[in-house]
Amino acid sequence: MLIELLTERYPGMRAWLTQRLTGLVMAIYSIVALLRFFIIQPENYEAWVSFFQPIWWRIASLIFWLALSMHAWLGIRDVFKDYVPNYVVQRVLQNILVVLLWIYLAWVLWLLLV
Amino acid sequence: MKFSIYRFNPDVDKKPYMQDYDVVLEDSDQMLLDALLRIKDLDDSLSLRKSCREGVCGSDSMNINGKNGLACITKLSDLEEPVILRPMPGLPVIRDLVVDMTQFFENYNSVKPYLVNNDPPPETERLQSPEDRAKLDGLYECILCGACTTSCPSFWWNPDKFVGPAGLMQAYRFMVDSRDQAIDERLENLEEPDRLYRCHNIMNCVEVCPKKLNPNAAIAKIKDLKFEQAREHKNKAKKQIEIKLV
Repeated sequence: MLIELLTERYPGMRAWLTQRLTGLVMAIYSIVALLRFFIIQPENYEAWVSFFQPIWWRIASLIFWLALSMHAWLGIRDVFKDYVPNYVVQRVLQNILVVLLWIYLAWVLWLLLV
Repeated sequence: MKFSIYRFNPDVDKKPYMQDYDVVLEDSDQMLLDALLRIKDLDDSLSLRKSCREGVCGSDSMNINGKNGLACITKLSDLEEPVILRPMPGLPVIRDLVVDMTQFFENYNSVKPYLVNNDPPPETERLQSPEDRAKLDGLYECILCGACTTSCPSFWWNPDKFVGPAGLMQAYRFMVDSRDQAIDERLENLEEPDRLYRCHNIMNCVEVCPKKLNPNAAIAKIKDLKFEQAREHKNKAKKQIEIKLV
């Protein structure tokens, strides 16, 4: 049922639900990250590197970042829609946002893979 | 009692201004509308809408000390001085406290606020069980004063797209009416991204409603109905596949 609501048949619900689901993903990741932080308590650079070493944690971090990107796109797109009445400026700002989110995603990928 | 009232006559004024009034009230003047009528006796150029003077018609909705409400049911004793009165925000001002509510009613009409029932009309009325009738409580009481919709920032920014709390509550009122047969069409009608989903639950609508209704809850329930609709579609599709397989 959730999958159907995320199809093009429900354009409004799709965006609304995506924002909630991505929010949920980020919340779960944040709780686990905090727990890991308190258990491991990384104190130096090497400890932080080992904090991000497990492959499952890298995958989780990537999923978190994808969720964050989608969440940010939907949220900031709405802010632009509300506060930038000029359509051309609005589109320019939206495109800048998309480029920025892709750059950040590439950067995260590089950090997690290298 | 001291008042500061928004004045604007497009035929004469280049821009709006606030005008101060200091009026002596009688003991019988209990509500804000009483005071406004007293002011109008002194200055008949002041324009405002009014009709029933008892919170039923919704004509005298305005912004009172920064919060939308009805002048006729706002007690003077509850107001801080000077009482600052402005027209409802988010709608074009026709004159003084009178706003053009065309957009508000266009949005309201867009949700088809009437029963859709294609069955032949019965000899008497279309009956409802007491339980079904109870589902309309807290919805049908809306007087369309516009206080909620004009205090909603989503309506201010997208008045031609976002239906607004009043219209959405009426949409839900007909969705849950047991006599209505157009729930699917009503849900489809609100699927365009900005019509329903621009509501960000800031609750201004609930805060200002002079009838103490809760448009925000109605909006949330429309989303619940969307989930039910999707579930039904899935079940229907499953049944069709089963029939084909048989």
